[in-house]
Amino acid sequence: MNLIELFKLSFGALNERKVRSGLTVLMVVIGVALMTSLNGLGAGMDNFIDDQLGTLGANILIITPSDSGTAFGPPQETPETKLTSQTVQTIERVHGVEHVIPYYTGVVTMRSSGEEKTVTIRGMDMDKIDYIAPNAELESGSLVSTTDSVGMNLGYYIAYPSDLDKPFAKRGQSVTVEYTLVEMEGDREKLVVEKKSFQIKGIFNETGNMNLDNFAYISPAAANALFDKKGVYDGIYAITKDADDNEVVEERIRKIYGKNIGIISPKALAETIKDVMAQFTGFIGAVALVSMFVGAVGIITTLYTSVMERTREIGLLKAIGYSNRTILIMFLTESIAIGLLGVVLGLLAGAGGAYALVQFLMQSDPEAQSSSQSGATMSPVFRPTDVLEVFLLAFILSVIAGLYPAWRASRLSPITALRKE
Amino acid sequence: MSDSKKKPRRSRKYAIETYDLWKTYKTAYEEVHALHGIDLKIKNGEMVAVVGPSGSGKSTLLNMIGALDRPSKGRILIDNTDITRLKESTLARFRNRKVGFVFQTYNLIARSKVEKNIELPAIMSGTTKKARKNRVKDLLELVGLGGMQNRKPNTLSGGQQQRVAIARALVNEPTFILADEPTGNLDSKTGDEIANILIKINQERKATIVIVTHDLELADKTQRILHLRDGKVEKETEGFSYPMKNFKDK
Repeated sequence: MNLIELFKLSFGALNERKVRSGLTVLMVVIGVALMTSLNGLGAGMDNFIDDQLGTLGANILIITPSDSGTAFGPPQETPETKLTSQTVQTIERVHGVEHVIPYYTGVVTMRSSGEEKTVTIRGMDMDKIDYIAPNAELESGSLVSTTDSVGMNLGYYIAYPSDLDKPFAKRGQSVTVEYTLVEMEGDREKLVVEKKSFQIKGIFNETGNMNLDNFAYISPAAANALFDKKGVYDGIYAITKDADDNEVVEERIRKIYGKNIGIISPKALAETIKDVMAQFTGFIGAVALVSMFVGAVGIITTLYTSVMERTREIGLLKAIGYSNRTILIMFLTESIAIGLLGVVLGLLAGAGGAYALVQFLMQSDPEAQSSSQSGATMSPVFRPTDVLEVFLLAFILSVIAGLYPAWRASRLSPITALRKE
Repeated sequence: MSDSKKKPRRSRKYAIETYDLWKTYKTAYEEVHALHGIDLKIKNGEMVAVVGPSGSGKSTLLNMIGALDRPSKGRILIDNTDITRLKESTLARFRNRKVGFVFQTYNLIARSKVEKNIELPAIMSGTTKKARKNRVKDLLELVGLGGMQNRKPNTLSGGQQQRVAIARALVNEPTFILADEPTGNLDSKTGDEIANILIKINQERKATIVIVTHDLELADKTQRILHLRDGKVEKETEGFSYPMKNFKDK
């Protein structure tokens, strides 16, 4: 018999039970969508981290005053080391360290031709920017020299914010910054607002490096004065000879300072994030897998019920000459139709879900939000192998799920089936 | 004729022949003989009724000659083919081509239109769509439902539904029609109409028809009545109400 005619009969039966068929499709959709969006999110996250790592020199260690920065769990009181020129000299002498770049950081309110913006300013030796961001390039102008007390370089998204239709600042113009610091007057705290003008010496091209694109840079001396740091750095970049040395160098620094200092290796950090991410997606992936099996059981239930309800119809079909095999195929077709529709809708829903999840993650994390403004966005990635895997899994599951009810239907005796009232 | 060892005579005269047909059901305690060695011959173009009380073996006999079930012993020849030896898939094919079933409860598929219901056996046999359409149209005219292709069964009366079922039984031009209590669910007037349609098909189309019923009035409208009791043919009588004028014995 004609296969198309057979499909028509199957679809007719599915169509008769729209709600039930629809709900069963939904069961498949949920599992498939979960898996698809997770795969997409996981792959997107990996890509994002790799991209970020690519813009950052791999042979960097970031040294911070305390060790709390990287630890998961509740923040703890940890001993701090004041990062001074003394520290810089010590680290410079550590074997394997090529360059040491200390920096000051402060958050200011910046004003430029009527617009106002909250900006993170970093004070560091700009001649060494290449070590930190190998792809850093000036769009125009020049780098701020260490002796320049009024010069400033802007990251691409400071100069060209995505929420403004004109540049925030141009080369050669001056901007004013306001920095609020807390001064102790006896026992009382007092807020002092420092105001200073800077001149834009140069603007960086877009690099994809979240820090470089979103920071403004001034000389260390200017930052020390503006933020009243009294020579205490906020962090130190230690550039190693080779990324592979990071671990050894980290150990050597640890030997000197013990737990009293924070050392971050972006490379190691990226690996850690990837690991955690993989574990997380693995866990949810297992849940998604279970939900796919639940979907398969849903197909079995739906079709089995359908077989029971349609015993008379099946009996009639057998009486008028439909073979066991034809009836088996008819019911298998129904389960495959449910499975296919579920997979296709699930893949679409999963793709949509992955984008929604990314949006959600970006919005819930203010830091990520600012980065999403800056163009360093994470987007889900759908690897063809992942999609194919989910597709085949769901398809095969729905065929298997259909087998038992279909077999039961094909084995029904026409006599008993017709006799049943 | 009762000698089962005698090789059945090959003949085109008979649509249905059974030789020493037994059906035995085994229960936990005893063996029940539903059919007790039945021999019968139904000629091509004949219209026959099988009557008998409940438990007489009517339904079992119907299942046997309808190729829905296998006898415990004996032979069934349909169109000179011994169907007791056919394997299941061939039997399905056989039912599709040679038997047209009409049931007491019509057994139409409610979601499908009249046309789809009628063409179901023809879909299985691989008839082309065009041929099916023409055949459905023709058959609907025959049963007096011309133009009702697109109606759903639940918009039809019981009598109309049974007419659709009769059209479905005829769609593959079977060797014989096997009707199981075809008027059982209908009032007497509608039952008469169905009976008349069956007679018309028998006389105009020369279709062989076997009606299993306990409606003696309906049985009386056939040519020959087989009375079953305890799994045996107790006696044969003639139906007196069968209109003789058009019928020619072959």
